[in-house]
Amino acid sequence: MRLDLFRSILTSFLVPLILGVARTSSAAPVDDPAAMLRSSIDEILSIAYSGHGNENLPSRVRPSLEKCFAFDLVTRQAMGPGWRQFSATEQKRITDLFSELLIRTYSARVVGTERPKISYGAPVELASDRREIPTRVITSSSNDPIAVVYRLIRLPAGWRVYDVLIEGVSFVANYRAQFDEIIQKGGASAVIRTLETKLAAPVDSRL
Amino acid sequence: MKHPIFSLLVLVLCLSGCAVSEKHSAAKPVQVGPSAMGEDFANVPVQKVNDPLQRLNRTVFRFNDGLTTYALRPIAYRYAIIVPRPVRTGISNFFDNIQFPVRFANSVLQGKLTRSAQEVGKFVFNSTFGVGGLIRVSDHVSGLANVPAEDFGQTLGVWGFPPGPYIVIPVLGPSDCRDLAGFAGDFVISPLNWYTLGIIHYEFIGNAVGIALTGTRAVNALPKSVEDYDQMKSAAVDPYIAVRDAYLSYRSAQIKK
Repeated sequence: MRLDLFRSILTSFLVPLILGVARTSSAAPVDDPAAMLRSSIDEILSIAYSGHGNENLPSRVRPSLEKCFAFDLVTRQAMGPGWRQFSATEQKRITDLFSELLIRTYSARVVGTERPKISYGAPVELASDRREIPTRVITSSSNDPIAVVYRLIRLPAGWRVYDVLIEGVSFVANYRAQFDEIIQKGGASAVIRTLETKLAAPVDSRL
Repeated sequence: MKHPIFSLLVLVLCLSGCAVSEKHSAAKPVQVGPSAMGEDFANVPVQKVNDPLQRLNRTVFRFNDGLTTYALRPIAYRYAIIVPRPVRTGISNFFDNIQFPVRFANSVLQGKLTRSAQEVGKFVFNSTFGVGGLIRVSDHVSGLANVPAEDFGQTLGVWGFPPGPYIVIPVLGPSDCRDLAGFAGDFVISPLNWYTLGIIHYEFIGNAVGIALTGTRAVNALPKSVEDYDQMKSAAVDPYIAVRDAYLSYRSAQIKK
């Protein structure tokens, strides 16, 4: 008897609690960068590991990636001060091409049959509108977890990723270094030519 | 006995080289972060890099790229077919476990005593319950998982030595002056080289065994490193710069850990 009573009290308390939690988490509060990141990554991984293979993966994950990443900000950072000398048309073209390269690169990384496991650390406040979220990715291909840090900024549309650091290597800084010489030598047209050539080449065959 | 002295000589020469070259180009890493960016996202500064040998480095980089494409990738491909991933992981765990003295000594040299203790714990667990290091059981022991691996290059960094010029080494790939000295230091500490260095004299271990072990270790690591290289290359617009930046940033992050 006492057990039954205990059980009914428990259910009457727990059920609304669980439902309430489920309701808030499915809504993915716009103001919570950690929740945004987690739900975006879950969405992307669900698409990548849905069992449809790698066919058209870049175009399939693009909408989800665009919801999560501020591609225009990533591009602007990767180009550096040279960006201001580009015309609006050039800026648009470079943003489109570079976003495509990033989406293709990202898609090439989420391969394999086993969905990687990701653990999320506590967000670190960089500024009132900037957060850094450390994560650990465990894949089937590596023995050791990979440290991936996401940097997010609060934009009118919500929190967006503006840089990713893999084992301490900043995506933005790495491309900034690569584009520096290209911009100094040939400006926007050289950047566009380089990106077009890069995208025309097939993705390297891997093991 | 010739070898340790030679290693020390390389180390000393290299370190003095680092100190001198550092005066010419003060390669102070610029922090790429929100604080440096201000409000305008186009203000990300380019990390200043100490790369006086760039022309030579690029040549060696092209050579290594060809070597990877035409020699290493076919070997890696065949090896990965013959030796399945769980076996490769086991072999890699075995060699990692044997390298325990390197990580332990460098943790001590950096004054990281908790980490040294963790390394001892890992070694004991993995050597016994992990069947001679083949299985990394320590990953499932709280406090022994994800212990950052220390090496002598990092130790020199902690001691305040600058990285010095960036160097691309034939076959081995990216490095810098400090890591080259670190490589020499770790070579002496690594049990794999104790026979070569004359530190141990066992009748049943010959140079052939040493070479076979080193060779196995290198080939076993190939599939992963070729895959990593390919991924990096397919994303890069200038692979030389991409690898250089990734290497230097990665090492500087490791030193801070």
